[in-house]
Amino acid sequence: MTSIDVHELTKEYGTTRAVDHLTFRVEPGRVTGFLGPNGAGKSTTMRLVLGLDRPTSGTATIGGRAYAGLGEPLRHVGALLDAQAAHGSRTAHDHLRALAASNRVEPARVDEVLEETGLTKVARRRVKTFSLGMRQRLGIAAALLGDPPVVLLDEPSNGLDPEGIIWIRELLRRLAREGRTVLVSSHLMNETASFADHLIVLGRGRLLADTPMREFIHARVQPRVRVRTTDTEALADLLTRHGYRTAEGEHGGRAVFDARVDDIGRLASGAGLTILELAPEEGTLEQAYLDLTATETEFTAAASTSAAPAQPQEA
Amino acid sequence: MAFAPVLHSEWIKIRTLRSMIWALAAVVLATAAFSALAGLDSDGTDFDPLFAAFFGVNFGQVAAVAFGTTAVSSEFQGGALRLSLAAVPHRGRWFTAKAVAIGVPALAVGLLTGFVSLAVGSAVLGDKASGLSAAECLRGAVGCGVYLALMALLAAGLTALLRSGLATLSILVPFLLIVSFVVGGVSGGIADFLPDKAGQVILHQTSDGALGPWSGLAVTAVWTAAALAAGAWSVRRRDA
Repeated sequence: MTSIDVHELTKEYGTTRAVDHLTFRVEPGRVTGFLGPNGAGKSTTMRLVLGLDRPTSGTATIGGRAYAGLGEPLRHVGALLDAQAAHGSRTAHDHLRALAASNRVEPARVDEVLEETGLTKVARRRVKTFSLGMRQRLGIAAALLGDPPVVLLDEPSNGLDPEGIIWIRELLRRLAREGRTVLVSSHLMNETASFADHLIVLGRGRLLADTPMREFIHARVQPRVRVRTTDTEALADLLTRHGYRTAEGEHGGRAVFDARVDDIGRLASGAGLTILELAPEEGTLEQAYLDLTATETEFTAAASTSAAPAQPQEA
Repeated sequence: MAFAPVLHSEWIKIRTLRSMIWALAAVVLATAAFSALAGLDSDGTDFDPLFAAFFGVNFGQVAAVAFGTTAVSSEFQGGALRLSLAAVPHRGRWFTAKAVAIGVPALAVGLLTGFVSLAVGSAVLGDKASGLSAAECLRGAVGCGVYLALMALLAAGLTALLRSGLATLSILVPFLLIVSFVVGGVSGGIADFLPDKAGQVILHQTSDGALGPWSGLAVTAVWTAAALAAGAWSVRRRDA
């Protein structure tokens, strides 16, 4: 199976360190979400993996080999880096045909990927007439051209309409089900939560997290119960007496931390309170991510005045 | 990775851009049209009947330069180069294929231009062209084709070095249209070795400078080789 291995990868532009001793592995058979604020080094890391930029130090390999060592790389790795990569005056079909020819991908694949990305009808139109969403689909078509076991997509949902976003979600999941290695960068949390199994989070070029998505959320956001009654004060009083931590919730309800709906329901009913709403609240990826980046900001502020502590990294 | 598929890919890229086809058409049309115009007004003491038939090359070469420039500059728009180099990580091989895909059609169109311009030019000149031998005419037409191909490749190399079509054109076009005309009047010395002056000796019946027809073309070839080497160095060394 083909995994992406990044080891102690560092890239400096002048005095700026865009990628800082990054080590992680992207495993096949699952969708790995690649998260981080703008400028965190996601795109730079992808370019380094593809051999487009030269690392200052460290290595990035695909199935144990450097990208440049792959014979016909489009058959091993498909990448979408920039939706503007296709020349505006060329047709979608010609754009893909030129790309296919370079790696001896059979021309029939061009029509297949156009079909797969829903571009068959516009295949003979020039790319400059395309919307951003169509260009994005064309970039994904190019990534799928060589039927590669490894797929890297940089912000693939950019400019897609709601239908397109559902389509890309299904596509990513299918690619992972087929056993491919899928790395997808994004800064849209809800979007990433809908397709990722695993997360790699970067901040200022460093690795902040490399964990399954569920664990990432549960470790950072406590599950809560949302409860709303006709008598808010009595409810708050009751919960406090039973040792629950609560906070003011939305629409006049209460948020109860570290609680289960079963317990809260019985408690309220025992006290004769009328329950209007009672629901468990799972943490969202967005909450977990914001929690992480908040601590990261504090960390970097502290690190600038004292020696930086070692970053936990997975081997 | 084999070379032929990469070349095939680069050739598809060139022939699927209309601007490329127009630039090549402009090489033939501009050269022939201006050669014909020049033939109508051909008097003076330093009249060279062969160069009169190829006078339009002064304008046709701008189209050849535009062809070589756009073929490379299209890679520097919107991350196209990244896509190309992700498909072909052997950058030297990729740039070689690009240069061949530019050079071969430029040479073919250049040769066509040479013979068309010669035919049109000598028809307009009439009796004034009667002093030309068949060998001189052949030399001029072939030289014209090679010269135009070299100018297209010179522009291609420079564009890869500067990573910008606009920068290349703002250097080469004023150079070809203005500097060379001005400096050209001062014949002899270093001006004879400028890429366009040297290469155009082959389009003249007689040469009074330091360079002959073929040695002049060789000097232009050296300029082109230097530009391509610099372009290849830039493509290989820099982050895409």
